[in-house]
Amino acid sequence: MQQKLICDILPRVSKPARYSGGELNIIKKNWDFSGVKMLLAFPDVYEVGMSHVGSKILYGLVNERTNHLLERCYAPWPDMENEMRKEGIPLYALESFQPIENFDVIGFSLQYELSLTNVLNMLDLGRIPVLAKDRELQHPIVIGGGPVCANPEPFADFFDALVIGDGEEVIVEILNLVESCRGAQRRDLLMQLARLEGVYVPSLYEVEYNHAGRCQAIRPVDSAAPKRVRRRVVKSLDAAYFPNKPVVPYMSVVHDRAVVEVMRGCQRGCRFCHAGMVYRPVRERRLKTLLDQAEAQIRSTGYDEISLVSLSTLDFSQVKPLVTELAQKYAAEGIGVALPSLRADQFSVEMASQVQKVRKTTLTLAPEAGTQRLRDAINKNVSEDQLLEAASAAFSSGWNALKLYFMIGLPGEREEDLEGISDLLFKVKHRGDELSRRKVEIRASLACFVPKAHTPFQWRAQDSIAQLQEKRRYLTRRRLKGIKLSFHDEATSYLEGTIARGDRRMGEVILRAWQKGCRFDGWSEHFRFSAWMEAFEECGVDGDTYVTRRRAYEEFLPWDIIDSGIDREFLIQEDELAERGVSSSDCRMEGCNDCGVCTSLEAELDIAEGE
Amino acid sequence: MRLRVEYRVGPELRFLANLDMMHAMERTLRRARVPYALSEGFNPHIRLSLGTVLPVGLWGEREYFDIELVAEMKAEKFVKQLNTVFPEGLKAAQAIAIDPSAPSIMSVVNAASYVFKVENAAAEVREQIKTMTTQPELVVPSRGKKKNRPKDLKPGIYKIKVKTEEQFDIIEVWASTGASVNVRFDELLDLMALMGLSRRRVADVWRGGNYCRVGEHFYTPMEKVKKV
Repeated sequence: MQQKLICDILPRVSKPARYSGGELNIIKKNWDFSGVKMLLAFPDVYEVGMSHVGSKILYGLVNERTNHLLERCYAPWPDMENEMRKEGIPLYALESFQPIENFDVIGFSLQYELSLTNVLNMLDLGRIPVLAKDRELQHPIVIGGGPVCANPEPFADFFDALVIGDGEEVIVEILNLVESCRGAQRRDLLMQLARLEGVYVPSLYEVEYNHAGRCQAIRPVDSAAPKRVRRRVVKSLDAAYFPNKPVVPYMSVVHDRAVVEVMRGCQRGCRFCHAGMVYRPVRERRLKTLLDQAEAQIRSTGYDEISLVSLSTLDFSQVKPLVTELAQKYAAEGIGVALPSLRADQFSVEMASQVQKVRKTTLTLAPEAGTQRLRDAINKNVSEDQLLEAASAAFSSGWNALKLYFMIGLPGEREEDLEGISDLLFKVKHRGDELSRRKVEIRASLACFVPKAHTPFQWRAQDSIAQLQEKRRYLTRRRLKGIKLSFHDEATSYLEGTIARGDRRMGEVILRAWQKGCRFDGWSEHFRFSAWMEAFEECGVDGDTYVTRRRAYEEFLPWDIIDSGIDREFLIQEDELAERGVSSSDCRMEGCNDCGVCTSLEAELDIAEGE
Repeated sequence: MRLRVEYRVGPELRFLANLDMMHAMERTLRRARVPYALSEGFNPHIRLSLGTVLPVGLWGEREYFDIELVAEMKAEKFVKQLNTVFPEGLKAAQAIAIDPSAPSIMSVVNAASYVFKVENAAAEVREQIKTMTTQPELVVPSRGKKKNRPKDLKPGIYKIKVKTEEQFDIIEVWASTGASVNVRFDELLDLMALMGLSRRRVADVWRGGNYCRVGEHFYTPMEKVKKV
C-alpha cells in the first residue's frame, strides 16, 4: 500500500508531504511487541494538527513512558479523500502505515466544534462504523478528548468514551485498562472505563426529554457509571511529562516552532471565556524546568524559535526572567523567543519588543469590547487608557501594524458598544499616525460571541444570524481610512452554537450533515450551511433552541453531566454581576472568589515561584 | 570559511518542496551545532545556499549546498557531524573547502541528469527513446510558466543512456537546466509518453546529479570549483 501511495497516488494530490510521514523524531515502535496500539487522530488537516501542543504531549508520553504504542493520523484534504476512495485505500497511520481499523484504540482530539464531520469521515475512511452502537468486538474503541468535550452530548453517539479534562494521566490508565481487559466483551470494557475518573461512557446513560422535547435529565443506567463525570486535573504541571523530542514536520505548519507550556489555566476570569473556566486552576512550571525543556527541544529539533505558550503567558509569574534568559542564551545562534498571547498593556508590549527584535510586523491586542461598561460586564479587565498606552508603546517601539480582537453579540451589548469599537479603532489609529513615521495599519477582527458550556454566560441567548448581520452592517456603514474590519461568518458561529450547547439529538443532525457531504466545516471554502440547514430540517431538530434561547437558571443543561469543578452558584453570581456591569477580581491577586475548583477537584493554585 | 557539500535526498523525501528542504537543512545545521555564519540585520538567517531546486516528486542522488562558517572546521568533521543529526533520508556524502569568492552553485550548474526506472519497454519504444536526439525537434506542451505552449526540448537534451536490466529499463537523460531551455522532468515524461512509454510503467524517477556542462564534458560542482 505504501508503495502504491508513493508512486501512484501522492504525486496526484496537493501537498503530498501531509501524507508521507517519516518526519524527524517520529517514534516507530515495533507493532508486534507493543502493548495497546492507539491512534491519535486529529480531525483537521496536517498543518493544523501538527501545531497542537496536547498531541505532542500525548505522543511522547505514551511512546516513551509506556509499553503501548501511539501513532498519528490527520484528516485527508478532499482531493486526497477522493483518491483514497477511488483507489480503495483505507485511512492509515503515518508511522506504520497500518490501516486505522487495526488499532485497539482511536483517540480523537476535539479542539473545535466544527471538526465533528471530519471525525465521522475519518472513521468511515478507516472502515469503522461511525455510530458507537454499531461497533463490534473487532472494532477499535473510539474515544475523544479536548475542550469541546466540556459538552459531550451532541457527539455522544459516535464515541465509546470521552475524556474530560487534562489527558496526560488518564490516557495511560485507559491504555492499561484496555490491555488488562483483552478479550473481554465490549460492554464490559466500557463499564470498566466508566469507573475511571474523567471518563464519560455515553452508552451507559439514558437521556430524558420533557413534553417540549427538551433534555431534562441524563441518568446512568449502570452502576459502574457515575452520576456526574468529574473533570481530570493534573495537579502538578511542573512534574507532568513534556516532550523533549517533538516530531518536526517537513512542510510548513501553522505553528512551526519549538514550544514550552509555561502554565495551564488562567484566572483572569473573563466571563465569556471557555478555556478560562475549564482549565482552572492555574498551575505553573518552574523556571528551571522550562529552561531545561527549552534547551532539550532546541537541540533535538533545530527550530529557530521557541514559543512560550499558555492561555495568558504574560501572566506567568516568571515571564520576565524566562524571556530574558532565553533571549540571551540563544541570540548568538540566531534562535529567538515568541510570545503568542499578549495582554493589552504596556508591560506586554515591552516584553514583546524585547523578544521580537525585528519581526515587528503585527502586534495583536484583544480588548474584546468597545466600551468600558461592556468590558466590565464581560470581566475583561483592561481599561481604554491601558489599551491606548499599549498601542502607543507598540507604535513608538517600531510596530506599524496593530491587530485588535473584538466580539460582537456579547450579552448586554448596546448600540453604543458597537459605536465604541469604531471609536476605539479610530483613537488607536490616531495614536499610531502621531507616533509612527509611516501611516499605520489597523486591523480589527470581529468574532461573533458564542456562549459556551461551564461559563457564566452558559444560560444566555446567542445573537441570531440576522442580528449579527445587522451589527456587521452597522459597523461597516462608515468607512475608516487605514482600518480594516474582518468579520467571522455568522452562519459558522450559529453552527458552533448548536454544538457548543446542544444535546444528544444533535448527533443525528451531525450524521445527516456528514452524509450530505459536509466536512471541513471550519474551512470557509468547504462550509455548506444550506446542507446543514437541510439536516436540521430532516431530523426535526430546531437549532434555535440551542442557540438563540435564553435558559433559566433552574433548567437542566445537557452538560450538567460533566462536573467541571466550578460551582453553579459561582457561575450564577458571575452572570448576575455581568448583568449589573460589575467586574470581579483575579483570584491570584486579590483572594479567592470561591469558584469551587480547588476544593472540588482537590487541586490548588500552583504558583510556587510567584509572590 | 566556505564549504561545498554533496548530499543525497532519499526517496522518502521526494515530496518536499524547496522551502521545506531549506528548513530541513537549516534545522539540521542548528542541531549539528556547526559554526554557521549568520546574515547581518535584525532577522538573522544561516548563510546557506542550496543548489538547484529539486522538483517535488523526485529524489536526488547527488545534490549540493554551500555554507559559510565563522570558524575553521575540517570538511570530514562537518560531514560526520551533519550525518549524526540528519533525518532519515538525508545523508552528506562529502564536503570540500572552497574559495570564499567562488561563484554560487546556482550560477555554475547548467545541466542535470534525470533517471527513469521503467518496466521493460517494447524494443521499438526503447529504440525510439535511445535515439530521440536524432529527431529534428522534440516538441511537448510546456509544463513551465508558459503552460501548454509548444516547447522544443531538442536543444536542451544532451545525452541519453538506456540500460536494460531484468525487469526494468534505466533511462538516464542529461538535460539543460535554467538558461535558454529548461527541461523539466515531467516534460521528459510527456515526451517519452509520446514515444509510446506509458506513464503507468514508470516505477521511479530521480535526479542523478547536477552538472556544469562545458562543451561535451559534464563536471560535478565539486570538480568545477576553486578549492582551498
